[in-house]
Amino acid sequence: MTAKGKKKQATGKATKKVQKKVQKKTANTKKVTEKVTKPGKKIAVKTTEPKVVTKAATRPDFAVVGKSPRRLDGPGKTTGAATYVDDLRVADCLVGYILTSPCANARVKSIDVSKARAFPGVHAVVTAENFPGDNQVGVVKLDQPLVVSDRIRWYGDRIALIAAIDRPTALRAAALVELDVETLPSVHDPLEALADDAPRVHTEGNLAAKMVVRKGDFAEALKQADVVIERLYSTGHQEHAYLETNGILAELQPDGGMLLRGSMQCPFYVQKIVARVLQVPHSKVRAVQTTTGGGFGGKEDYPSEPAACAAILAKVTGRPVKVIYKRDEDIARSSKRHATKIKHILAAKKDGTLLGAKAEVYVDAGAYLGLSAIVAERANASAGGTYVVPHVEVDTYTVYTNNPFGGAFRGFGAPQVSFALESQMDLLAKELGRDPLELRLQNALHKGSLSPTNERLRDEPQATQTMEIARDRCGWDKRRKAVAVHNATDRYNKKGIGAASISYGCCLHAGGQHLEGSASLVQVHPDASVSVAIGGAEIGQGAYQVMALLAAESLGLPVENIRVLDTDTSLVPDSGPTVASRTTVMSGNAVLDATAQITQRMLAVAAKHLETDLKHISLRAGQVLIDGKKSKLSVAELIALCFTQKVNLTASGWYAPPRKQWDRETGTGQGYSVYCYATMVAEVTVDTVTGLVTVDKVTAVHDIGQAIFRAGVEGQIHGGVVQGLGYAIMENLVVQDGKILNPGFTDYLIPTSMDIPEIDIALIEEPYDRGPYGGKGIGEPSLIPVAPAIANAVANALDLRLYDLPLTPERVKMAWDARELAEN
Amino acid sequence: MAIELILNGEPTQLDAPGSARLLDVLREHGHTVGVKEGCGEGECGACTVLIDDVPACSCLMFAGQANGHRVDTIESLSQGEPHPLMDAIVDAAGVQCGFCTPGIVLSAKSLLDNNPKPTREEVQVALSGNLCRCTGYHRIIDAVQSVAKNSQAKTRRP
Repeated sequence: MTAKGKKKQATGKATKKVQKKVQKKTANTKKVTEKVTKPGKKIAVKTTEPKVVTKAATRPDFAVVGKSPRRLDGPGKTTGAATYVDDLRVADCLVGYILTSPCANARVKSIDVSKARAFPGVHAVVTAENFPGDNQVGVVKLDQPLVVSDRIRWYGDRIALIAAIDRPTALRAAALVELDVETLPSVHDPLEALADDAPRVHTEGNLAAKMVVRKGDFAEALKQADVVIERLYSTGHQEHAYLETNGILAELQPDGGMLLRGSMQCPFYVQKIVARVLQVPHSKVRAVQTTTGGGFGGKEDYPSEPAACAAILAKVTGRPVKVIYKRDEDIARSSKRHATKIKHILAAKKDGTLLGAKAEVYVDAGAYLGLSAIVAERANASAGGTYVVPHVEVDTYTVYTNNPFGGAFRGFGAPQVSFALESQMDLLAKELGRDPLELRLQNALHKGSLSPTNERLRDEPQATQTMEIARDRCGWDKRRKAVAVHNATDRYNKKGIGAASISYGCCLHAGGQHLEGSASLVQVHPDASVSVAIGGAEIGQGAYQVMALLAAESLGLPVENIRVLDTDTSLVPDSGPTVASRTTVMSGNAVLDATAQITQRMLAVAAKHLETDLKHISLRAGQVLIDGKKSKLSVAELIALCFTQKVNLTASGWYAPPRKQWDRETGTGQGYSVYCYATMVAEVTVDTVTGLVTVDKVTAVHDIGQAIFRAGVEGQIHGGVVQGLGYAIMENLVVQDGKILNPGFTDYLIPTSMDIPEIDIALIEEPYDRGPYGGKGIGEPSLIPVAPAIANAVANALDLRLYDLPLTPERVKMAWDARELAEN
Repeated sequence: MAIELILNGEPTQLDAPGSARLLDVLREHGHTVGVKEGCGEGECGACTVLIDDVPACSCLMFAGQANGHRVDTIESLSQGEPHPLMDAIVDAAGVQCGFCTPGIVLSAKSLLDNNPKPTREEVQVALSGNLCRCTGYHRIIDAVQSVAKNSQAKTRRP
């Protein structure tokens, strides 16, 4: 830690104390930025500016942090100048095409590519037989062939890799590949796959991973319980549907290495897998992220696979090879949000106090492990939610099937389990005749309580606050009464209101803490412009803007002076993936580590030049300050001075959080570095004739530490709410015997501009002492509570609960009609 | 075939098979890579271009169909002074990954050209053929409305 850093931390503490004091005095004068609502007609929906609910009455006085300067990458993206991978033009580039399996489970008898290879315009056809490298891949476990040899396990398995002069040629060559297989019985349900006589996806059996939580003794909870709620839930696959499909360009380097440029969320994974497949050292493989058209987790691990294919073809042909997926290929081959089955049991006293939670979670991994066990870890840790639960027993099974493979997707296992638990909470409230939000408040984690995974929480949980603010902001009691009145008189259109609350462990789980370090490289140039490189990726979420704001704040420069470079494995060391809402904290702290080193050197020069002591000097908004007042020196002049004095203004930064104590055997202990709390309230209208659910309004209350790029926080919440809405009611990936029947936007529906609800946002900004200027994550908490809040609202509207996501019109209509039939 | 069109204001001849998709011809031969392919089936609107000022999905058009017509891509709005919609979408934080943005700008431009004072609902309808997976649409709609408001303010002034 640098002197500057120490000083900052000390000041931080002092400020916090003052804030707390003032807070007591002025408890009711919270700073509120209200709200511009625009009037709209019927379907037109409005949004409000986020309300800021800070507990501290005096907020830190930042020059740029917490503000919303226009995104530095904005103009390039609006003018069409931004370069996505398919926009790269390279001479002599070949098209890479990947031929995949026509069946879900089979033994390969022969693959004959001789005709395909001889087809004019074809430069290479690679199969397992002539594979020029190591054919075994996998991000966690090497259980997957890049190209299959003797066994097919799902429709996405690769049969042959083809390089040709153009796509039509590649497609015609692919049609000439002769594949002879013996199809085998396949298995498509994780529960069925665990049966002894189920077809085996891998010889060692279908249970890929098992994890547990053991806290207290659930049998004891059952003994004491007055009420026990036991239900079975299921959730379907969800497709990421990033607007830009997967794509990669591989270029062989003179030294036998490979340059990969493409759409990705973790260049380091691409580097590692390609180096492995080509059998060259990491130093010879450089992965550079091009402007990426969305990721949402879908481009965490998967891009390594097309990258390895492109690299192999580039190696064989000696020419650049570009692989760009069409939409149907992308949906058919890439990872999905895991389909799950969840049995959940909640035990409580009749006064509403939770005694125990027990869950059996079955995660459909698909044919290869991928990231499934890691996703399952978060599902496993989420079964007790944001409540005080003395007895917790969770068993999470990650199961191989012949289905499309599950992977990372915004929320990472938490949305499925939260849907089950938050539905359970509403069922419990109903059983006890209690208000569901009040029941949540009664059980919410609070200061000093033990989490469901037996962690003594270091930071004060904001669970209660998010619930109270959500309740007050949406007018919960009034709205509950209003919908009841409406439903008594409207026979066909039923209205409902529902809430859901979550806590989300920000950054990687303790199980993955050996990967939890992130780097940066900051270079200040003589003209006071700054290049910043990070290991995190910009996938649209605004990570680069966050880094620019942090660097600008720290260096005392305008945001426009900062340029964040495309994430590149040759600039920074392995920083892990851009997942787990960790980029602001991890890359952000790494940037501040670097800028702290640089500012320390600059301040020393300034102090000498201005003939004052170091402690009086600070940098802010382009000016060198002495005791907070402008000096004669600007930061730009100071930088120029540093260069004339040969002071190095380049530094690499690193951040790794303190080690977490966690016990794998019981799944308990310090799971995460810090938690983000959120409560959402959804208001819906259900057309009982068609079964169509319309989400009218979502109130979203988030505990975010400190907003760094404020418009970006809001953008994440808007996007998360709408994506979560899709997950809740629209997005129905139809998988039949392992085959996706709707791999396109014509029949896999994602929300359009006509489907969006009014979104009302409130932010709690209680700075996280280990976050960059107090910041935490927001990407995933913005999605997780959406589906359960909507499901609870639908249950409230219909007085009828559905246990399977998504709540498509068909499902809603069938449930409604079934009950009507039963009652009449 | 030789396809003659007015591409972004310039009389242009593109040599391409008439049955090629207009999207591919614009990207490969027209050097207008601001036209994006998101789905290839007319659902996402990332490939939106203006044909004689009317928005169309270039992935659903044969290149030959553009013969004799005016075709405007996002690049046409970037020449010289950028179109106010571009600034407005950045200012309103309506850009995240950006892949849908060019198509959205063109759909919005077409709306404002025909309806300078759209309601929020009319903006929603006009953009309903353009999928965005990042922003949740609200800030894009705000941006379109702000441009409408500002241009009226400008024209009202003497």
